[in-house]
Amino acid sequence: MTTGRSMRAGEAVLGGGLIALGGLIAVETMLTPSVGRAVVGPALFPYLISGGLVLVGLSLLREAFAGAIAHAEGLELDLWAVALVAAGLAVQFLLLDTLGWIPSTTILFAAVSRAFGGRRLMVNLAIGLALAAFTFVAFNYGLGLNLPEGSIVERLTSADAE
Amino acid sequence: MDTLAALGHGFLVALTPYNLLWSAIGVTVGTAVGVLPGIGPALTVALLLPVTYGLEPTSAFIMFAGIYYGAMYGGSTTSILLNAPGESGSIVTAIDGHAMARQGRGAQALATAAIGSFIAGTIATAALTFVAPLMVKMALLFGPAEYFALMVLALTTVTAVLGSSLARGLASLFLGLALGLVGIDMQTGQARLAFGVPELLDGIDTVVVAVGLFAVGETLYVASRHRFETEEIYALKGSKWMSREDWARSWKPWLRGTLLGFPIGTLPAGGSEIPTFLSYLVEKRLAKKPEEFGKGAIEAVAGPEAANNASAAGVLAPLLSLGLPTSATAAIMLAAFQQYGLQPGPTLFDNNPELVWGMIASLYIGNVLLLVLNLPLVGFWVKLLLIPRPWLYAGILVFSSLGAYTLNNNVIDLVILWVIGLLGFGMRVLNVPVAPCVVGLILGPLAEQQFRRALAISQGDPSVFLTHPISAALLIIAALLVIGPMVLRYRSNGAAKGAGKGDNASPSGSHPAT
Repeated sequence: MTTGRSMRAGEAVLGGGLIALGGLIAVETMLTPSVGRAVVGPALFPYLISGGLVLVGLSLLREAFAGAIAHAEGLELDLWAVALVAAGLAVQFLLLDTLGWIPSTTILFAAVSRAFGGRRLMVNLAIGLALAAFTFVAFNYGLGLNLPEGSIVERLTSADAE
Repeated sequence: MDTLAALGHGFLVALTPYNLLWSAIGVTVGTAVGVLPGIGPALTVALLLPVTYGLEPTSAFIMFAGIYYGAMYGGSTTSILLNAPGESGSIVTAIDGHAMARQGRGAQALATAAIGSFIAGTIATAALTFVAPLMVKMALLFGPAEYFALMVLALTTVTAVLGSSLARGLASLFLGLALGLVGIDMQTGQARLAFGVPELLDGIDTVVVAVGLFAVGETLYVASRHRFETEEIYALKGSKWMSREDWARSWKPWLRGTLLGFPIGTLPAGGSEIPTFLSYLVEKRLAKKPEEFGKGAIEAVAGPEAANNASAAGVLAPLLSLGLPTSATAAIMLAAFQQYGLQPGPTLFDNNPELVWGMIASLYIGNVLLLVLNLPLVGFWVKLLLIPRPWLYAGILVFSSLGAYTLNNNVIDLVILWVIGLLGFGMRVLNVPVAPCVVGLILGPLAEQQFRRALAISQGDPSVFLTHPISAALLIIAALLVIGPMVLRYRSNGAAKGAGKGDNASPSGSHPAT
């Protein structure tokens, strides 16, 4: 359960984040030595955009404390499910290069299914495995793309070849 | 009659069995993915990008045209049967379309949507055929200053038109502009905001950001809400055909919707949201029984759906002839062109007439194919709505990560996808529209390039933007669009004081991810 007050906090975080991002862009641009002698260098637009970010961030902060916000009455959010989906994606990109597309994507599929209330873990894993294997074959052999097979598998197959 | 000759040549390209096959595959997968709940045309196009990588450009864009139109048809099925509009252009359709489905008239709602989409799509494609070359002629008069002003106008309308609050629209826009800064500056070769990560030197891909916001962010949001919401699907039953009365009540709204949709679609006015809304209001004003509106009036499905499809064709006119994307879907199409090293604009018409005219011709063909796919086979697409939600959303994320990874074959894109997805979830919860971010990301660097070119030509004199009449006019319109609503709001707040709060924010319950 998320209350109206935490919605306001969320909007304030967004506003603050934009101001911080604007500051970061300005500082990074200042620290980058300028090259070339164009009439307008590569630094002008970063400064303009960082200025815009700060102004919009301030305006959001004002709205967060005094103005109209979305879902001011609060909004129920199942944050556990959000965390599970996010974790599934993180596991996938962390393991993709080592384990390869098929295992890491199977884990992603099972994690997201669980977050949406699918309780039969083995069934979800099986469907995830089937989908991952199908996409691997279809895209790598049918469409000529390069989904990774994983460094472990590569090491094993190259050991066989020797 | 150069145009007709060019179009004829385009048909020769598009009607070769090979290209016809890709067009048919495009409309089929476009419809299939577009039907899935939560997936609008923008995301459909982004998710299906990898499928086209293996093709040569002409076939790829013929398939793409099919995907684009197919996604428009598929989206209306979802909004009618499930009341889950995948994009802002379908919101209006969902109101009366879903009401009709609840009364057991879902088949008629789908039929009027499909036939209306066909008629509107065909007329609007014909209009596109003749408007695009005119816009190309106009584009030749444009210098960098005019292009810059036009892009500023497009960015302003996308931001000011969508969403409930200007501040939130601008927040999204500036996020997109900031993401667009990352990478090597096109004119000096200097790296900006790459923080020493080599993968960032190429910039942040529009497709990754679009998929992150529309797919990952949306999935996270649905995951957070699905325990608290129930959805109702209405099976199709009874007569599948439109009665004589249905036809009599539909044909005028189809034509009026087309008349509204195409011209507004060609303007930098944010795509289909405004024309569908206007069509609804016009039909309500003209209807014999306006009290039926909101409770299942067939006019309220026929008109907006026609307007929606006509504007989809309209959006292609500035995209192809000026390289100007005016909606999130168009922004992703522009990214697809860039992926193939092509820059839409007058030179594309000169150098790749086969591609441009083959694509336009395939829009006509795709429309016919879609009518066949959607009228008799609608029962099949409805089955796709029954996929269990856990597997549906898990599958969406599998294909999202596939699309992001295969862009450059590196994991960094998946990390960016993840970060953008979490950001998109936050934006969704806070009701921040995401379309300005996507359009800002792709238009920002282009606008900067034109701005710097204009100043290089004028030797640093910034008054070029105001002394060139076209540029000045465009910039003034952009300024009015931002300042006008502010003044109006200030006035209405002043007038409403004492009479309670003069809140003119639009309903904030469930805006879809567009």
